[in-house]
Amino acid sequence: MMQRIWPIALGVVADSLRRKVVYVVLVFAALLAFAIPSLPDYGLGVESAVFREVALALAFVTALVVTLSLAANRIPGELERRTVYNVVAKRVSRWEYLVGTWLGVFLVAGGVMAAFTVIEQVIGLITYGEYMWLLWEGALAIWLEMGVVAAFAVAVSAITGPVVVVTATLTALFIGHSRSTLLGGEGALALQPFMPSLDAFNVVNPVAHGDGVPPLYLASMLVVFLGLAGTSLFVGSALLSRRDL
Amino acid sequence: MSQTTAPAIHIEGARKAYKPIVGAPSREAVADVSISVAPGTIHGLLGPNGAGKTTTIKMLLGLVRPTAGMFRILGEDSTLPAGRRGVGFMPEQPYFPQHLTAAHALKLYAQLSGVPSSEIAGRTSALLERVGLAGRERSTLSTFSRGMLQRLGIAQALINEPTVVVLDEPASGLDPVGQRDVRNLMLSLRDSGVTVLLSSHQLSEVETVCDEVTILNAGRVAAKGDLDTLLDIEGRTSIRARGLGDSLPSTLAEHAVNVAVSGGVWVFSVADDAVRAAVDAVDDAGGRIEAIAPMRDSLEDYFARLLAETAGEVGAR
Repeated sequence: MMQRIWPIALGVVADSLRRKVVYVVLVFAALLAFAIPSLPDYGLGVESAVFREVALALAFVTALVVTLSLAANRIPGELERRTVYNVVAKRVSRWEYLVGTWLGVFLVAGGVMAAFTVIEQVIGLITYGEYMWLLWEGALAIWLEMGVVAAFAVAVSAITGPVVVVTATLTALFIGHSRSTLLGGEGALALQPFMPSLDAFNVVNPVAHGDGVPPLYLASMLVVFLGLAGTSLFVGSALLSRRDL
Repeated sequence: MSQTTAPAIHIEGARKAYKPIVGAPSREAVADVSISVAPGTIHGLLGPNGAGKTTTIKMLLGLVRPTAGMFRILGEDSTLPAGRRGVGFMPEQPYFPQHLTAAHALKLYAQLSGVPSSEIAGRTSALLERVGLAGRERSTLSTFSRGMLQRLGIAQALINEPTVVVLDEPASGLDPVGQRDVRNLMLSLRDSGVTVLLSSHQLSEVETVCDEVTILNAGRVAAKGDLDTLLDIEGRTSIRARGLGDSLPSTLAEHAVNVAVSGGVWVFSVADDAVRAAVDAVDDAGGRIEAIAPMRDSLEDYFARLLAETAGEVGAR
């Protein structure tokens, strides 16, 4: 199984690394990160906290753009160019192809997050003289959330084109962070357990203003990631397996 | 070949109906196709555009979900990944990720086919040489011509040393030398015991290499069998003679049809029961018989006639 999924994932990584979008987004994000310290101060003693908060937001947007641009177009592009025939006509299951594609996007998103976090660390050290290790916890949370986003996008892309994928994924992302808003009323509170939420990945407060994320919370975040990404990939595999190529 | 040998490829009652939108009438791309390919043979799949050749192949390889039918390769259900272990497939006009080099592409497909890591480099070099791409291991595929990609498509189909190879228009886009190379490759595969299912528009290619053919028209099998049986024209014999002068003797002319002459060589056909009289007439005229053989259609003529004959049936459906 992994001997088929892994080469597909590495193929996605190799293809992604030659796409300009990854580097362009990363460069622009780095430039913006360098500009963060020039933002108006929020008060004496909290400049570095503001930096961390804005840096996390920037990291989220950067990862989202890269993840969506790769995940939304990968499978539709391969179907259109028919490069997929050479893969799935071999002894490769369609779910293996889908999971391999997702894994490749997830790895690239991880690489981008790692690179951007290193840049944040350098800026933090130069500007505030601090090693901001907690930003790595924030990067992990964003990476895991991007794993869920990528899984959703790849699943939707099994049956439709990039524009619909991006629209559907952004809608899901919005809804995923709006549980308390959408189901906050007393009458709807009972529905909350049934609505998938991405709020578990929101660790801005403990990372930017607190002492970091407790290990148990990190573990539970991992469970949420596995559950949501796994469900999306399962549904995506079912959709792709029913599709004529 | 033994009649009891299990077929390498067996398709039974293949059917594919497309229904574009809910409520719309379905359209049958493949209506009822059954094909059996004996091990170690080359089987041609012929038909005009839209006949259902590619859809049939895609159903066989699990790329398209069949509406009905049974698909077996080497006795296993080939619509499932596990049933395609010993299969190589070259799609029509194969495409590859453009950023890969030829060696990287073959490595990827080798890994997906389960080729042991220790064998990949050796097989890659050997296959690239076999398909005429030796020395291009490190070339990026974006620099490859159409014909080179076609050759690479054949190489990736053979990377797992398959027992059964399915080739969809393998000579498409190749120059005459390339087409000859592909023909020779198919023949060498057959000689080594590999079964080849060949879908092609190139009738000369099919006629040269195929042991048997199945001709599809409008999603149905219009004809199938070995080429000799299909192309031999029952009841007529072809005669080739020399030294008959500028015109056929009257005793011969009354029997001969499809008469052609070139460079002093006359070729004509006569009814089987008139062969003796025709030979005597050639002798009497001072001519010399060069060949007598059962009359055989060209595949091109047979194909055109068959499609014309089945056109009415198709229109009536």
